[in-house]
Amino acid sequence: MEKKIAVYICTGCGIGDALDIDALSKVASKEFKANICKTDAFLCGKSGIDLIKQDIDGEGVNTVVVAGCSSRVNTDVFNFGPDKIVERVNLREQVIWCHPGEDEDTQMLAEDYLRMSLAKLKNLNLPEPFIGENLSSTVLVVGGGFTGLTAALESARAGYKTVLVEKEAELGGYVGKMYKQVPMKPPFTDLEENSIPALIKAVEDAGVKVYTSAVIAKTAGGPGMFDVTINQNGTDVEERVGSIVLATGAKPYEPEKLGHLGFGQYKNVITQLMFEEMVAAGKMDANKVAFIQCAGSRDQEHLPYCSAACCIESIKQALYVKEKNPEANVYVYYKDIRSNGQYEHFYKKAQQAGVIFIKGDITDISESDGQLTIEADDHTMGTKSVADEFDLVVLANGMVPTAALGETVEEAPAEDEAAAASDEPKVTVAPIIKSNLLNLEYRQGPELPALKYGFPDSHYICFPYETRRTGIYAAGVVRAPMDMLSAAEDATGAALKAIQCIESTLKGEAVHPRSGDMSFPEFNMNRCTQCKRCTEECPFGAINEDEKANPLPNPTRCRRCGTCMGACPERIISFKNYSVPMIGNMVKAIEVPEEADEKPRILIFACENDAIPALDMAGINRLQYNPWVRIIPVRCLGSLNLVWINDAMAKGFDGVLLMGCKHGDDYQCHFMKGSELAEIRLSKISETLNRLGLESERVRATTVNIMDYDKIPAMLDEFAAELEEFGPNPMKDFQ
Amino acid sequence: MEQTTKLPESVKYDLTFAREIYSLENGSYIKQCMQCGMCAISCATRDIMDYSPRRLFNLIKLGKKDEVLKSNTFWYCTSCCTCKARCPRGIPLVDVMHDLKRYAIKNGYVDYPQAAFCKAFWAEVAGRGKVFEGGVTARFYLIRGLDEVLKAMEMKDIGINMLKRGRLPMFPPKKIKGMGNLKKIIRKAQEIQRKEEAR
Amino acid sequence: MKYSFYPGCSMEATAQANLVSIKAVASALDLQLEEIHDWNCCGATVASGVVGDFTQQVMTGRNLAIAEPKGQDVVVGCSSCYLSLAVTNKRFREDEHFRALANEALAEGGYKYNGTLRVRQFLEVVINDVGFEKIAKKVKRPLKGLKVAGYVGCQTVRAIPYEFDDPEYPVLMDRLTEALGATATPFPMKARCCGSSNAIADTKIVLDSALKIFESASQGGAQLMVTPCPMCQLNLDAYQQLVNKVHGTSYNMPILFFTQLMAIAFDLPPDAWALKYNIVPPGAALASFGVG
Repeated sequence: MEKKIAVYICTGCGIGDALDIDALSKVASKEFKANICKTDAFLCGKSGIDLIKQDIDGEGVNTVVVAGCSSRVNTDVFNFGPDKIVERVNLREQVIWCHPGEDEDTQMLAEDYLRMSLAKLKNLNLPEPFIGENLSSTVLVVGGGFTGLTAALESARAGYKTVLVEKEAELGGYVGKMYKQVPMKPPFTDLEENSIPALIKAVEDAGVKVYTSAVIAKTAGGPGMFDVTINQNGTDVEERVGSIVLATGAKPYEPEKLGHLGFGQYKNVITQLMFEEMVAAGKMDANKVAFIQCAGSRDQEHLPYCSAACCIESIKQALYVKEKNPEANVYVYYKDIRSNGQYEHFYKKAQQAGVIFIKGDITDISESDGQLTIEADDHTMGTKSVADEFDLVVLANGMVPTAALGETVEEAPAEDEAAAASDEPKVTVAPIIKSNLLNLEYRQGPELPALKYGFPDSHYICFPYETRRTGIYAAGVVRAPMDMLSAAEDATGAALKAIQCIESTLKGEAVHPRSGDMSFPEFNMNRCTQCKRCTEECPFGAINEDEKANPLPNPTRCRRCGTCMGACPERIISFKNYSVPMIGNMVKAIEVPEEADEKPRILIFACENDAIPALDMAGINRLQYNPWVRIIPVRCLGSLNLVWINDAMAKGFDGVLLMGCKHGDDYQCHFMKGSELAEIRLSKISETLNRLGLESERVRATTVNIMDYDKIPAMLDEFAAELEEFGPNPMKDFQ
Repeated sequence: MEQTTKLPESVKYDLTFAREIYSLENGSYIKQCMQCGMCAISCATRDIMDYSPRRLFNLIKLGKKDEVLKSNTFWYCTSCCTCKARCPRGIPLVDVMHDLKRYAIKNGYVDYPQAAFCKAFWAEVAGRGKVFEGGVTARFYLIRGLDEVLKAMEMKDIGINMLKRGRLPMFPPKKIKGMGNLKKIIRKAQEIQRKEEAR
Repeated sequence: MKYSFYPGCSMEATAQANLVSIKAVASALDLQLEEIHDWNCCGATVASGVVGDFTQQVMTGRNLAIAEPKGQDVVVGCSSCYLSLAVTNKRFREDEHFRALANEALAEGGYKYNGTLRVRQFLEVVINDVGFEKIAKKVKRPLKGLKVAGYVGCQTVRAIPYEFDDPEYPVLMDRLTEALGATATPFPMKARCCGSSNAIADTKIVLDSALKIFESASQGGAQLMVTPCPMCQLNLDAYQQLVNKVHGTSYNMPILFFTQLMAIAFDLPPDAWALKYNIVPPGAALASFGVG
């Protein structure tokens, strides 16, 4: 489309007092020859918006540049419909709120930001959504236990066609085998009847299509267009679904490995599940019972994590014993009672019923005449404790997610032997375990990547249910150890995400975290060298490849982070509204003063998810920082293409700083690997810089989270001081 | 027992004593203690107690009757209610301590002077319907014996000051008029209380 | 406003200053206190240790039963009595099982209590029923510059937490002393236990507790302390000399009932100040206001 550009400079919020607005207007009208350039004292007010709308209607303006507040605010106010490009220049949060007014350097900063925005527009186009063919609105739920049934019910009740696949002949899963279940409603103190039969009936009544004795043989395609092969009793059935909820649950930790607690040695040492079945069968007549918590869990030799549900399950089982015989003696040996949330009431209830809780480690379990003796270190009293004549000892043996059962897929050997041999840093690869749950036809492996301990989560704080495969949502104990209340919440949440995915995909929008983004990566295949970096580095497995190693993008799987764009050495990948030349133009638009002017310049690539909000917050808090910086927001540092750094250094910038999210085990990156990949790419550019005679320390990466805003001024000053020691970039005078 | 000789440090769980304590008026609250320690850090007299309240509760749970009843914990409780106000499990610790005092007195664990003070105080109330502070003091020394009186002599300055300031009347207040009724009420209340605790 | 008034045993002996000043202040503020007829001891926190909470609360209930026909709020001046009466009253109101059993016992003496009354500390009545504004207007002798540590002690605010002030860090008494024109000084230990009834049985407990309280009050710069509680007043006033002797300190901190300070600020007749009962003489602190 032919762009008709109008620039509107807001003079409100103190902008008009701090800056020379006439000079700024000249940048737009003289330097960039914008069709229209106007100012208004209250652009987000009615008169301001009307002014813009009049130009759109009267003058045919289709590209609106708003120079005022941050793009993080007033997004709804400055929205003129899907066919108008809106570009925001942050004169408020990142200029006048963090730099002195009526100041030469502040003015230069504001003018540069306006130049950058206008230069960016040259290569920016309205995105056209990718709408897949034959899109499905069906939700597939894998696993027919408590979580799966709940998710299927929620999805069906929300009006979506739902398919449920269960491996066993009967629905119900682990919870289905229980005598009674933990409380799910206030006052959270009473044992409840097993809810599975009612749940199964509700699922059937809601019209969910159920496959039992069935497994997923193959999952191909992507969101909106998953082609799933279901193998039921040896026969294959095809289903096309829009999104998938993985609720395959967990298995009890193998008790055979708990010989030190007497399992396998003494017949009266049993597991939680065995006890549950014993009570359900009416065969439990023990009057002195001990429950041993963390049997395997929170134990480096066994499961390093807390299995989360065992404490309340044991409390429940202790109450079975008390229910049958209130005079029975029941002991619970524990590390910490973790009765999260409302289950604190349940714990208290058990205490009131006379269950004795002993905080301590078991030192020995012995048997004589079928009765068991437990010795332990009592940590609250600092003594040894002995209790004997137990009829039964029940081990709370924790849980292992079904996703963790199977061989770990070996990492494919690097094609480039030389690269493999060098000691270049490599991206840590999330393990994929061949657990035979989904059998994905994805280039990057057949199952969901694990976050930790085999749990296929992706970002446990910000985005529960989200896995690293778009459109596939994990819920319940396969995602993380949890109790039943949490599992019910998980099931509902995941069903909601699955529905959101279907709806977004129908509109050709990104689901998450760039919800509503209609852009997607396009590949200029003429120049592709089949290097496979894009397919290897995509954190979401969005790009498959053919036998000749040509990338085969799946736009509905894409989260629009731009990691592929940053990875491509040939720069053939771009989005309509985000591309290598677009950012390159921004870099080039910045005026870098000559060495004699003694005005250094530092280029910052800042992640839009955390670093940009932090920079805005620094402004909101009126923290003053270095005026030499020029900030370019990026979707993710994963989209950083090294050519931008070359451009910046050639242009005469004294330094480049990347501000991204923390990576490693407790990463904060919204796209998992972005900041880590950027740092690895950075390590590769140091050689180039040295060849140019430039110190490689001029380019570096740092991590900023949103709450680090108060540290930003010092961070920038420190970097500026170090750059000063290197002296000005010698390229300055050659531009 | 064999087990204990093998492991002299160890404790065995004897639920009989625990159940007896749980049956006291406020005793069953002890069961809901989750050993968080809030009482211990809140207590104004913790530093001179043998056991913090939570440890005492644990000893009860373990059935350590002698340790519990010989401990000074409940005698040193000043009823300041800080722990009671803070306990996240809503245990009225002060009231539990009252029960333990009573249980200890009933079982002959009366070595602490506070036990004598309680008895002296109660004797005043039961005999007069009101408390005469001079009477409580006199009764206290009567119970505790000569040693305590000699110790008290060191404090005579305090008594003299109070006398000088008119704060120690020589004569007790009159009995309340309804003393006969009050006695009947108390007798009945004790009877009901015994019945309730035996339930 | 009319109230039923429960004085408690100590007001007839060690805390006569409390009774005298409460009565004087009440009449100055038009609060009519009608003593509960033939009231008996509430058992304080001590009787329960011998006869149990139930019997102690039944005994306390006799007083409420006598007061009930008048339907007036029961006002208590002593903190320990307030604890007994307020907690007992709460049980009568909220615990049906208890109420039935307790009335079974009370019936032996011909009494019944239905739990219809409110039990209130005199401090709370002064603050809520009179109010700071009216109190300030009554002040004829503003205590400007007088630095006062408001020692609320424990039972007043913790009998029923949050009933009228914060159980951890009460502030209302400070606002009251400010209404009298004085300055409320910082006092972290303002709700710390004074050792309570251990003065006789185990004096050391009181001496050690009192030391911490004196330290805290003097660090805040207080010239005198006010309290609503007879036990606190007694322990801190009568044992102050011994604290100094045992701990080698030299505190000379007058301890007044807050009502004594009110009587002074209202410029009631000197008899109402009841200063003759104070063991640590308040003269030095109050001399500049023409008192002493």
